[in-house]
Amino acid sequence: MLSRVADALYWMSRYVERAEDITRILTVNFHSLLDAPVETAESAWQAIIAITGDEERYRQCYADYNARNVSEFLLWNPSNPNAVRTCISLARENARSVREQISSEMWENLNRLYFLVRDLDWEETARSGPYEFFDQIRYGSWAFQGITAETMTHGDGYEFIQLGKMMERGDKTIRTLDVKYAAVNQLTEGPEASLQLIVLLRSCSAFEAFRKTGAAMLQSGRVAQFLLLDQEFPRAVGFCLNRALRSINAISGNTSGEQGRQPHQLNNPQRQIGRICADLDYLNIEEILDLRMHPFLDGLLHRINLVGDEITRTFFNTQVILPGKTQQPAQQQQ
Amino acid sequence: MAEQPDRRPWLLENRYEIGDFFDEMFAGNGQPHHHYQPIYEQLRELSRQSFEERRRQADIAFLYQGITFTVYNKEDEGIERIFPFDLIPRIIPAPEWDVLERGLTQRVTALNLFLYDIYHEQRIIREGIIPPELIFGAKHFRREMIGVEPPRRVYAHIVGSDLVRDNEGNYLVLEDNLRSPSGVSYMLENRQAMKRTFPNLFQKYEVRPNEHYPQELLATLRSVAPHDLPDPTVVLLTPGIYNSAYFEHTFLARQMGIEIVEGRDLVVHDNHVYTRTTRGLKPVDVIYRRIDDEFIDPLTFNPDSMLGVAGLLNAYRAGNVTLANAIGTGVADDKAVYAFVPQIIRFYLSEEPILNNVPTYLAMRDEDRKYILDHLDTLVVKSVNESGGYGMLVGTQSTREERERFRELIHSAPRNFIAQPTISLSRHPTYQDGELYGCHVDLRPYILCGEEVRIVPGGLTRVALRKGSLVVNSSQGGGSKDTWVLGKQPDRAVVGQFWLNNKG
Repeated sequence: MLSRVADALYWMSRYVERAEDITRILTVNFHSLLDAPVETAESAWQAIIAITGDEERYRQCYADYNARNVSEFLLWNPSNPNAVRTCISLARENARSVREQISSEMWENLNRLYFLVRDLDWEETARSGPYEFFDQIRYGSWAFQGITAETMTHGDGYEFIQLGKMMERGDKTIRTLDVKYAAVNQLTEGPEASLQLIVLLRSCSAFEAFRKTGAAMLQSGRVAQFLLLDQEFPRAVGFCLNRALRSINAISGNTSGEQGRQPHQLNNPQRQIGRICADLDYLNIEEILDLRMHPFLDGLLHRINLVGDEITRTFFNTQVILPGKTQQPAQQQQ
Repeated sequence: MAEQPDRRPWLLENRYEIGDFFDEMFAGNGQPHHHYQPIYEQLRELSRQSFEERRRQADIAFLYQGITFTVYNKEDEGIERIFPFDLIPRIIPAPEWDVLERGLTQRVTALNLFLYDIYHEQRIIREGIIPPELIFGAKHFRREMIGVEPPRRVYAHIVGSDLVRDNEGNYLVLEDNLRSPSGVSYMLENRQAMKRTFPNLFQKYEVRPNEHYPQELLATLRSVAPHDLPDPTVVLLTPGIYNSAYFEHTFLARQMGIEIVEGRDLVVHDNHVYTRTTRGLKPVDVIYRRIDDEFIDPLTFNPDSMLGVAGLLNAYRAGNVTLANAIGTGVADDKAVYAFVPQIIRFYLSEEPILNNVPTYLAMRDEDRKYILDHLDTLVVKSVNESGGYGMLVGTQSTREERERFRELIHSAPRNFIAQPTISLSRHPTYQDGELYGCHVDLRPYILCGEEVRIVPGGLTRVALRKGSLVVNSSQGGGSKDTWVLGKQPDRAVVGQFWLNNKG
């Protein structure tokens, strides 16, 4: 498949997933902070911005952290390139450039989502409560994933869409875990810690799934283990990376994984993501609990970003690199 | 009463004015021509409500399928519009089409021979048939093409010639388009829309199909692959999503099952062309390009072009890739060269032209120029380098200032202007605001030239929707109709209906 097309499909999918993730994190926290004391609220709102990694940009726009400012920044502030509105319109722009490669149902769905976000009266929504809007975004994103699975040929293009989704989702789960785990860790055991763990799980749509694993107690180590290593929950990092590797294998023309392929035949994305998967498979969670959690997650995030760069270099790079010239940076935001 | 739908026939009740024009549907006495009789009957039966309903359905179908073109406004945001579609088809009887088919084949064959000659021996210049300044002064003459041997010596693989009819009903060639003519997707979609909207009408006629155009196009492109490759890779090269014809590009690529690529998807290495894919470089043999010469290779032509492929011309000259159409075909659809097409046909084929030109005056000839300047108020003056209805002076509808401006322009660059008498283009009944109105029409058939010449019956009938306007171009408020070429066997239904009608 054309590199340009693969690039657009991958980013279309990442942007849709990003919009959904940001919306969900916002929804959950919005909800939980309604009955929280004011002093914790301020730092909790700050934590949400930390998850998205846009703190510096936020501080350029607003003096303090509160529901209104954070929502505005994350949903539609034009100076935030990761705002939900921007993500949706970038997803649509990418889709538009490869409109003939996706099914018309996918295009129609994305278009509908775009018009929903574009035509929304933000002031009115902020006043009357954004729940309905949050829901529409999330359902729109789920519908997009479902429509994609049901109407598009499951070939290379489909795999690039899956790859984009999994890379973005893995990234967001790690960031959420990082920020929220630190917050929980500061608290001694008690109702407040449990509440924070519930918010963390809900931020990843993982509360019910975690409960079903049979863990009787909400305990931070168990929650971290679940969100990092679970192989069956679709937002756990382990699950995301394994699925991403599966897509990369399919795209690289080796559907059965590395089997039957000599190590020197593997491409760089396969190698790097395979190594991360192996590290997670053999990880002893005890080693990284407490204060070691943050450096570990930070390192993991960095390695995943490198995989993203390597995907760009291996599959999308349409620049001819001339000797003596440095390569142009990838156009879209990691 | 509001609940009772109005079922009375209405469409043909109102007086329809034929005027001083040749009317495609009605003869002078207000009776339909024979081949329009069945549709005339049908329209008479139709209630207003039912007609409006069908019209609405057709419009919605066009919008949903994204059959749109983009109009750019001042705010820089392109608006997607549907190309207005009229439900009453234009019908061409078999004997008429027969003449058109032979005439167009003759014309395109001669033009390809002309192009080969111009870029090789230039016999036609040396024998004094065409003045050299006409060729070498043509904006689209490409000296880079001298001596290049395109496969099967075909330059113009896809030609769209615009035909009009004068007030006697004679078909005349208004211009030839040898540089990626567009509009064929509308021809195909119009037929689909007609079939959905008026399925019954088709049973009364033997309408020749046009659906196979994409297959014919693909066969044509494959037949001109370099080195007679048995299974060449064909791609469609588009300027990208912001091009107004992008819908057509994706439509044709999808119908042919070929990849649609942009300039940045292609790379030339060692005079071979490749697409950049997720699994490395893949060779390309034939490029159906919808990018103008000027933008196709920044190394040879416009160096600022971001749309083209660096080194493409060299790969082409090396014979490793076929471009359809070839580079430099524009010299043959130059409006001044157009005036010489009858001589071109006689020179290369030793035949008389089957289809006539519109009489044309060349401002570069002293005698003609004098005539043009004396008759600016009655002639249509055209700039030879413009297309799409721009750079034109319609004398009868012009102001004094406009005429003076053109007088200056003609004086300063006579080579760039031609003039033609105002042709009373034929008209076709077209539905507008609740009644039938006579609108001027033209016809653009699409001629394919590979190992043989193929013409899918019909073409795109364009309609000048603005009342009284002579310009049918889509960027100038034009619309279109489905075009029906009837089968060779006189259809029983048509004949039967005709007799039935005349008995009563």
